[in-house]
Amino acid sequence: MSRLAGNYPLNCWYVAATSDEAGRGLLGRTVLGQPVILYRLRSGAVAALEDRCPHRSLPLSYGTLSDDEVVCGYHGMAFGPDGGCVRVPSQENVPYGARARSFPVREDPPFVWVWMGDPAASALSDPPALPWLHDTGWATFGETLLVEANYLLLHENALDLTHFPHVHPGLSPSPYLETPPRLEIEVTETTVSYYRDFPASPLVDWQARTTGLPRDRDYAQRESGEFVSPGLHVDRMHVFATGDGIGSYDKILTRAFTPLGPRSTVVHWQVSRNYLTSQPQVSDQLRDVHRATLTADKRLLEAIQARADSFGAGEEFNVSADVAGLRAHRIIEEMLAAERGWPSARTPAPAVR
Amino acid sequence: MSGDAVYREHEGDLVVVRRETVATDVVALTLADPAGGTLPAWTPGAHIDVVLDEGLTRQYSLCGALRDRGSFRIGVLRAPDSSGGSRFVHDALKEGSPVRVRGPRNHFALVDAPRYIFVAGGIGITPLLPMIESVQQRGVPWTLAYGGRQRASMAFGDELARHGDRVRVWPQDEDGLLDLPTILGDPRPDTLVYCCGPEPLLAAVESHCAGWPPGALHVERFAPKPAEPAAAGDSPFELVLQRSGITTVVPADQTILEVVEQAGISMLSSCRIGTCGTCEQEVIAGDIDHRDSVLTEEDREAGEYMMICVSRCRSERLVLDL
Repeated sequence: MSRLAGNYPLNCWYVAATSDEAGRGLLGRTVLGQPVILYRLRSGAVAALEDRCPHRSLPLSYGTLSDDEVVCGYHGMAFGPDGGCVRVPSQENVPYGARARSFPVREDPPFVWVWMGDPAASALSDPPALPWLHDTGWATFGETLLVEANYLLLHENALDLTHFPHVHPGLSPSPYLETPPRLEIEVTETTVSYYRDFPASPLVDWQARTTGLPRDRDYAQRESGEFVSPGLHVDRMHVFATGDGIGSYDKILTRAFTPLGPRSTVVHWQVSRNYLTSQPQVSDQLRDVHRATLTADKRLLEAIQARADSFGAGEEFNVSADVAGLRAHRIIEEMLAAERGWPSARTPAPAVR
Repeated sequence: MSGDAVYREHEGDLVVVRRETVATDVVALTLADPAGGTLPAWTPGAHIDVVLDEGLTRQYSLCGALRDRGSFRIGVLRAPDSSGGSRFVHDALKEGSPVRVRGPRNHFALVDAPRYIFVAGGIGITPLLPMIESVQQRGVPWTLAYGGRQRASMAFGDELARHGDRVRVWPQDEDGLLDLPTILGDPRPDTLVYCCGPEPLLAAVESHCAGWPPGALHVERFAPKPAEPAAAGDSPFELVLQRSGITTVVPADQTILEVVEQAGISMLSSCRIGTCGTCEQEVIAGDIDHRDSVLTEEDREAGEYMMICVSRCRSERLVLDL
């Protein structure tokens, strides 16, 4: 059903690569079911073209980068950063209209964002600002994970943390194991965010190890998350150590969800913290914890996707804790309806859910 | 667990950073976070609630630049028969004044189309400004007919002047009423009409668009649609809240929203008179008696959503996805 279709808005910024991946070579990627090459110009800016020579359709990633020109590996046609063909070796002139499709790109390290929809519409919005990823005062590391599941399954998973004590026992804040604290949800036209305040309680093992805070003290915690756009989810965990005169220990998990296609999603994840920033072993410990949780979620989401692929999507029921996920569905449905345009917007689309 | 989730819209305590008189009796206010924070993203046609004294809220369309994530701009007409909203804005809000804002939300969304006709009456120009910014940027053909009492009372004419022939400013004292047959022309399958303005203009445009494909016309009202003839007393009905697993009754003298809140469910709502669209809910079953000013005829026929602050149910049982 629907969840297996191309249910991602095109007019949105998605992360296509991290900054260190975009260099002076032709990096081939699939974004929203379309093949793309990314490469860095001599100016340092990143350009993106469709990974297909418009002459005889060899992927341009089989070619080479020469100065700022992409040269096709078949007949040597050369294309500028805007996609325009600038040279045809076998003749004097370039045919009118010979052009590879180009995509708007914005780089805000560590992410390279690409816009796969109407290029002109890209000028009407900016990629989300994520200052903690490069501000001093924060230490950040990240990785990339492929999940063979539709990106909406990843958003649902990120927006409902009542799965946490069941999927990640031992890693949840201890009060979660009893009654989860009240869920506070806030919506805007384009976002959904939530938080839960946990009463003071001892830290679980990984928190004590990675913060260096004593295990015999109680700390209040707040966990929060935000659906920022179809391409981005941000989670925060605050440990309020103010009583220790240190302030709040903040950890942010930034996840860019980029659909490869209807059944697979690339997750560019980054973990940032504002404490013990100069201690690399803390990064190593946090990396292990996040790899474990993200891999456990990946396993479940892939099983849900595989089941739906084999047997079709079944009827599901919803509960109150699903409200944030349902709201995200609604936001995406409205984006898709606007993009389907007139008059097809009137005909109900493959519903998102 | 239903009582364990609290659902609300974004609210922000902003300040007026700029106040300009942009036409006779019209001020444009630019609102920003005093700490310089980023404001929520929005799309053309969106509005915010300005929370005035004593729980009084008023809806104002956002009319600033789409990419500006640091401020909201609204345009406010001093209405002579104002129930207090526009008078408060005009008299009490100065540069530096605090303003509580809720939203944004959008019930006048711009759907992609090959061509647009925009029709504005007076202060109804405000939601159309970001729509025009968007379609102009995307290179989609459009025209705007902008009517008003007199040129001096029509805001944002200077911002629109750069669009040349696409915009026809139509002051009533110079040119008479908007010539809707000429402006709208013959029904076209590729064109959407977006109209915002006073009730008589909306009614006239609705009547002229009767022959257009269903759904081609999008309107936004400032005030509740004139009440439909009062039903001879409302009837009680059974209310099932599917997700929460609750069944209750809506008595004749209570709204669905009130009953849902009494059942302990946290609900989004704002105006409670059927104009802002905040309390919209998905309907699973029931014969809906729509009484709001937000949903279009097509929405009503589809029967998927209802505004539970004013609308009711004609059948004995209403099932909501709540």
